[in-house]
Amino acid sequence: MAYKVLLVDDDPDIRDVVTMLLESKGYETVTACDGIEFLAALRAEEPDLMIIDLLMPKMDGFAVLKELEDGRWSKYRHIPILILSSVREEASRRRYELETALEFNVDDYVEKPINPEVLLERVERLVNKQKKA
Amino acid sequence: MTTGSGGRAAPGEKKSPGLNPEESALVLRIGVFVKMRWLAIAGVLIAGLLATQVFGIQFSLVPIYIICFVMALYNLFFFYQARHLNAEASGSLPEVLTVPLRRLLIVPKATSPLIEKVRATGNIHITVDLAALTVILHFTGGIENPFIFYFVFHVILAGILLHYRVAYLVATWAILLVVLLVGLEYYAIIPHVHLEGFAAAGLYQQVSYILSMLVALSTCLYASAYMVTSISGELRKRQREVVALQQKGLTEKTRELEEASKELTKLEEGRQHLLRFLAMASHDLKAPLSAVQSYIQLMLGGFSGELTDKQRQMLGRSSTRITEQLELISDLLDISRIEGGQMVKEVEEVSLVQVVQDSVENVRALAADKNIKLNTQMSTSLPKLKASGIRLKQAITNLLANAVKFTPEKGDVLLRVTEQNRDIYLEVMDMGTGISTEDMPKIFDDFYRGGDRQKPGTGLGLSIVRRVVEAHGGKIWAESPNPEDKKGRGSKFTFTLPENLIMAGKKPNQRERVRNRKK
Repeated sequence: MAYKVLLVDDDPDIRDVVTMLLESKGYETVTACDGIEFLAALRAEEPDLMIIDLLMPKMDGFAVLKELEDGRWSKYRHIPILILSSVREEASRRRYELETALEFNVDDYVEKPINPEVLLERVERLVNKQKKA
Repeated sequence: MTTGSGGRAAPGEKKSPGLNPEESALVLRIGVFVKMRWLAIAGVLIAGLLATQVFGIQFSLVPIYIICFVMALYNLFFFYQARHLNAEASGSLPEVLTVPLRRLLIVPKATSPLIEKVRATGNIHITVDLAALTVILHFTGGIENPFIFYFVFHVILAGILLHYRVAYLVATWAILLVVLLVGLEYYAIIPHVHLEGFAAAGLYQQVSYILSMLVALSTCLYASAYMVTSISGELRKRQREVVALQQKGLTEKTRELEEASKELTKLEEGRQHLLRFLAMASHDLKAPLSAVQSYIQLMLGGFSGELTDKQRQMLGRSSTRITEQLELISDLLDISRIEGGQMVKEVEEVSLVQVVQDSVENVRALAADKNIKLNTQMSTSLPKLKASGIRLKQAITNLLANAVKFTPEKGDVLLRVTEQNRDIYLEVMDMGTGISTEDMPKIFDDFYRGGDRQKPGTGLGLSIVRRVVEAHGGKIWAESPNPEDKKGRGSKFTFTLPENLIMAGKKPNQRERVRNRKK
């Protein structure tokens, strides 16, 4: 059975690139363009991995992460999170911790622009870890 | 303020709240008058003794002693009263006397209750003193006694202490009292005390003498009243002007401060606006390039089918150009953020050891590509700093990346961190081509890329390092060739972090952040 990856990014080209990349390796991908769509898709699709962009209109990635900390989403807490953003990891970490006073608790962080090998390797590592758990 | 306790106030003495200079001066003078009265009593006693014992003038001293005793008693009372002048705000007894008096003399109401009270007190002092002097005169020869002119002091006191019209009233009072005294003695209604051995007997019956004395006394008193009041009136006017000026200055200063604080708020708003703008610009400038770069990488990775060598080469070049462009955007935005004061927000407790290790890690791949050995010398007991970890890391990484860039294959790059005289020194040494003397003064300038344009770079790397270091209060400089290189090669960059960034009390390593949600 193919692994299902749920991707949220407001940039259609990034969605396109990631989809092409992952599908070339046999992953099934579901995409959303903002945080609200993403949360709806999360309930509907129950993916094996979430790839989240941070800067998005409507509900951004930071808000999504904060929402997922809520007890309502405990059912999905085991699903690994990979952040895919053009913001540097350290800056995002600082911003999230300053704004929410929560720990920036993600499984991996990949900076844009996308390097295909790097992204594939990280995705693979996360789903494999997920499988073992 | 301890009112009138000694007729002096040390300049630094603490004032009661709300005591303006006019009020405190008045309160002070009441105290001076109490002191002067002690002197007057002593003077009367000495004069009496001298007159009788030395000059052999014969009159009874007993009434003088009694009067002096009475004066001492009421002066004690005044002394006590002066100390508590501004303790309770409302005057009790004086009010009854002063209000009709004020109406009678059309004296304007004093500008404060305290001044009103001090004036009332002064009125009582002078009235009592007038009476005392008259009685003394009666027992010391009446019209024969030249001390009759001492009424002039009362007039002067009134002119200084009270309203100027009161000085004229006191002069009038004094003349009336003298006329009464002299008149009563003249008509023998009260006995006359003759100063035997001093004045001719019967002088008090000599109309021409009495009249001339009265005229002299009256003119003297009124003239004094005029002089004193005109001088003290002028002084008081000046004093009020000074107070008004001071207050005006104060109001202006307050307004200036308010304006300055408004300006500051505006500036801060502007800064916040700039930072928001930069965050947006950063995202919107980078996002399209990121997408393009991602596509190119996808193609180069062979995910869209086989590429010819020519295509691969062209895409590779495109990718390089985009990477450079992204770096340039990052650098420009970093400079704007640092200039916009963003760093203040980023300041936190930073482990220098951690920052250095992370920076070295950042350039490890770059160094490995050229087989360059990255050496680090630092003590693990380096202190914690109050600084921006992100920016320091950026600065050290930039310096190391530069060093790697200019060092030939299989060369060495050395990073050394030391504490010298409590300041921290970070030194980066390379084995590169070095810096020419023409380039040296400009290397920290924006967009300056030196003579060698072949090397990639934005020309902003060192200027960012300089900004980061300067924003932390440190200094940065470069030396070429590296003074520590035996063969005289390469260059050495040094920057300092000042002592005041060091946090008191060295603590063990910063808590490790848990990066994985599940273990």
